Amino acid sequence: MNKQRRKFLQAAAAGGAAYAFGRTSGTVYAQSVGVGGFPDYKALVCLFMFGGNDSWNMVVPTSTAEYNAYSTSRGGEAGVGSGLAIPQASLLPINALNSNLNGVTFGLHPSMTGMQSLFESQRAAVIANVGPLIRPTTKAQYLTPGWDLPPQLFSHNDQQDQWHSLRGTSLLKSGWGGRVADLLAARTADQQLPLNVSLAGQTYFQAGLNARPYVMGSTGATTFAGFGTTGVNLARRQTFDAIVNGTLASTSNTAYERSYASVQQRAVQYADRVNTALLAGRSFTALPDSGVTLSPLATQLRTVAKMISVRSSLAMSRQIFFVSVGGFDTHDDLLADQPGLLGGVSSAVKSFYDALTEMSMEQSVTLFTHSDFARTLTSNGDGSDHAWGGLQFVVGGAVRGRTIYGSYPLLQIGSPQDVGGGRFIPAVSVDQYASTLANWFGVADADLGSIAPSINNFPQRNLGFMM
Amino acid sequence: MALLAMGLLSACGGGDTAATPSAPPPPVPVASVSKPEAFRFLNQASFGATETEAARLISMGNINTAYAAWIDAEIAKPASTLLPAVEAAYPNPVPVGFNIASLNAPRVEKWFANTLRGSDQLRGRVAWALSQIFVVSQIGALQNLPSATADFYDLLARDALGDYRTLLQDVTLHPAMGVYLSMLGNQKAVAGTNLRPDENYAREVMQLMSIGLVELDLDGSVRRDAGGQPIPTYDQSIIEGFARVFTGWKWACPTTNPACTFTNVRPQIAPLPGYNQILPMRLYAAQHETGTKKLLSGVTLPANQSGEMDLQMALDNIANHPNVAPFMSRQLIQKLVTSNPSPAYVRRIATLFNNDGTGRRGNLAAVVRAILLDAEARPAGQGIAPVAPGKVKEPLLRLTQLWRAYDARAASGKTGVARNFGGGVSNVFGQGPGLSPSVFNFYSPSYAPPGEIANQGMVAPELQLATEYLNTQVTNYFWTQAVARTITQSPALNVDDMYIDTSEEIGVAADSTLLVNRVAERLLGGATNISPELATLVRAQVDRSTSANTRVADAVYFIAISPEYTLQR
Repeated sequence: MNKQRRKFLQAAAAGGAAYAFGRTSGTVYAQSVGVGGFPDYKALVCLFMFGGNDSWNMVVPTSTAEYNAYSTSRGGEAGVGSGLAIPQASLLPINALNSNLNGVTFGLHPSMTGMQSLFESQRAAVIANVGPLIRPTTKAQYLTPGWDLPPQLFSHNDQQDQWHSLRGTSLLKSGWGGRVADLLAARTADQQLPLNVSLAGQTYFQAGLNARPYVMGSTGATTFAGFGTTGVNLARRQTFDAIVNGTLASTSNTAYERSYASVQQRAVQYADRVNTALLAGRSFTALPDSGVTLSPLATQLRTVAKMISVRSSLAMSRQIFFVSVGGFDTHDDLLADQPGLLGGVSSAVKSFYDALTEMSMEQSVTLFTHSDFARTLTSNGDGSDHAWGGLQFVVGGAVRGRTIYGSYPLLQIGSPQDVGGGRFIPAVSVDQYASTLANWFGVADADLGSIAPSINNFPQRNLGFMM
Repeated sequence: MALLAMGLLSACGGGDTAATPSAPPPPVPVASVSKPEAFRFLNQASFGATETEAARLISMGNINTAYAAWIDAEIAKPASTLLPAVEAAYPNPVPVGFNIASLNAPRVEKWFANTLRGSDQLRGRVAWALSQIFVVSQIGALQNLPSATADFYDLLARDALGDYRTLLQDVTLHPAMGVYLSMLGNQKAVAGTNLRPDENYAREVMQLMSIGLVELDLDGSVRRDAGGQPIPTYDQSIIEGFARVFTGWKWACPTTNPACTFTNVRPQIAPLPGYNQILPMRLYAAQHETGTKKLLSGVTLPANQSGEMDLQMALDNIANHPNVAPFMSRQLIQKLVTSNPSPAYVRRIATLFNNDGTGRRGNLAAVVRAILLDAEARPAGQGIAPVAPGKVKEPLLRLTQLWRAYDARAASGKTGVARNFGGGVSNVFGQGPGLSPSVFNFYSPSYAPPGEIANQGMVAPELQLATEYLNTQVTNYFWTQAVARTITQSPALNVDDMYIDTSEEIGVAADSTLLVNRVAERLLGGATNISPELATLVRAQVDRSTSANTRVADAVYFIAISPEYTLQR
């Protein structure tokens, strides 16, 4: 490996600044809490890969010295003993526009043809070595007792919570998507649904202090059986409402009952609105309603696209959707499972992007990925274990694509960012990643601290990957 | 109140009677258990109160004796099992290409059979709680090992009222857990390579099954350092120590058989005699890490011990950690009695966990007994109001209670096959036996829904499943059950459809007061145990129709989905 490249990789890791284009986003609002609604529509789609995506096999260096470091760390190529490295020749080449790569080249996991096409057409970017941090951290600082670190590093649920909430060592009960909804409440007051909608169950990410998300089914809102518009069926709906409202108004019952009743109330109200609106929902060639069996993730994304298609009838101007896919906890069978996992994400995201273009909404919608953590470079025999910083994708027409942001470390055991076994200290924080997205979404620069509590500890508040 | 105080005094061996110079007053009879109180208890200790079981409990003594008598009888009962139902469903011989994953269905079906009709209700309820702490799931690598998944649940039922240390070892060496958290096949580091032991089980056994992430006081409170931060129970070096302990274990295979090597040994799929899917894993010594291992509490295992010795000492190290008692006690209280136990309640149970009075540590029968007999679980009074802290019932337990209360059954004799749920129970209820989406269970013990509950610093784990989506699914399930799957419709149903016996309700359907009272007696433990507001609204709804079936359906539906029924008082 030549000296220049090593120097680049180290400098990039230290500050995370090497790849960044600049700090301005396309539209900067002076205030998040302005008067009146937004003049435009924007949606964020959080795609959470549960279990901890082994992303060092997702975007892999292909230039010889960097590939060899990667391959050695992973115990050699697939099929050779316990090696976990993807064969060099099988990687899908990508040609990043970065002017600062110093000859280092990259490729995608061979299953990710859809993502390759999005990246090469400047519709996708890679955020490299991103993870939970409270402040920029070197290995020496990591080893210093008392240094501010997210608690319970390498634990699934704790690190998921960090991605969701950015809470650091605080006891924040809200997620960053929820806080965006709280902040923009006045400007989205006429929306007929909560700003946050989950297609994949309850998530800490969307819990606000005041704003609550709406959790719908992956194929739409389920209608209540037994309710109708006339006679005893209409009365049944009214009885349902009366029981719920009576429970909520009572103080002689318990908080448990009131909390349950509030969900019942929201379920019936929002189902009415969503189902009415979705009668006019459109179909997409890229995510067809019939004829092919979509994966669970693609099914969720199809519903997101349909919801976006009826945004006007629900008076939505800002939405955050949550979708997820599981199975990434590859302690075993990493190489056997990754083609399905990564290929599934790649094809579903590509189809979703294509569906957005069918309704000319690709400039208004940005999909971004989250995952618990990346995994150890070292092998445990046929898999890898919990680690820390890793790689994420951002996809959409408003993304400054075909670029690698953050800082891709040299994948060498014992390198300056490795805290052991190929666990990398993140070069950029989730706070920076989230702030960049929130800023694009309409959160003013001055308000980013309320979304990402540690953002002011970092030199860059916006990583520059959004137009 | 006075009655109870007297009762407690006598139970404690009497008070100071010296201040009573003359003849003692005539003994006041100790009250019987009331029906609402019996319901409260049985909803904590079983898969749902029924009027029959409440009457039996009441007949077992008074408020000072009946509960303990019931519990002690339950502790003596043997465990119901799942494995035989799975084994019976295997074709013989297993044809090539057979869909082995389909054999998970008889396991779930048998779980419902045991839950609804099994005599060992307390053991079953505790096993169900433990299955949410020691989690394995058919979703994932166990999909094609249905016997292992069934046998793991049977292990939990067998050990549910035994010793914690035994439970911990049985769980650790069971191949279902071995596969699920990849201790099975975990191998030692190879010098000169980047191969090192798998950390999966090492991490989760500490985080989820024994001590948790942060140091706890005996009352379950989080201990904090001078800076106010929680004190972690372990760090990465200790995880690596345990990961090294848990190396060398794989499928059972006779040590006398030279073909039984670490590399070659495979799971036996068909239920042959002694097949290794249901046998504890065995050590393959050559794959066991021989170096020292850093454990908890400052202990380091010496090098060159046998793998079996390392395992024994490592499990002792975990089981003797001071966090185990408050960690396990609090979770068991949460799953049986209340989401938000007082610190004093946790301390009382944890103290007993550490020593049951005979020097035994981790006596789970004593722990469960104490949880259910505690003053916080059995508050004074004959409670209509939710005076106990309580909890939200798990969605699936709302169903099992309804099914038990209405003697639900299907014409085929099967109990809860998948078609009842449109494919799978967890699709509707968000939970099911061996159906957790991950090792983190269906919900977190620390989940607090935003709003009132979170703001008060309380938790309500089961409400993590109360999304708009799942609430609608569950609510609709009860509608379908109440209106379309009753004894009246049973001749027209599929033979596997579960129907409820509402014939008594049909008999009083013409009178909305009698009807609502009857359903309240069955589901809430008494006609006086439904709030007047709910009763009024349900009666009015019932009177909107003249059809007996519709009237009964509305009464059952609205009470079964009411916040009052959803609360476990």
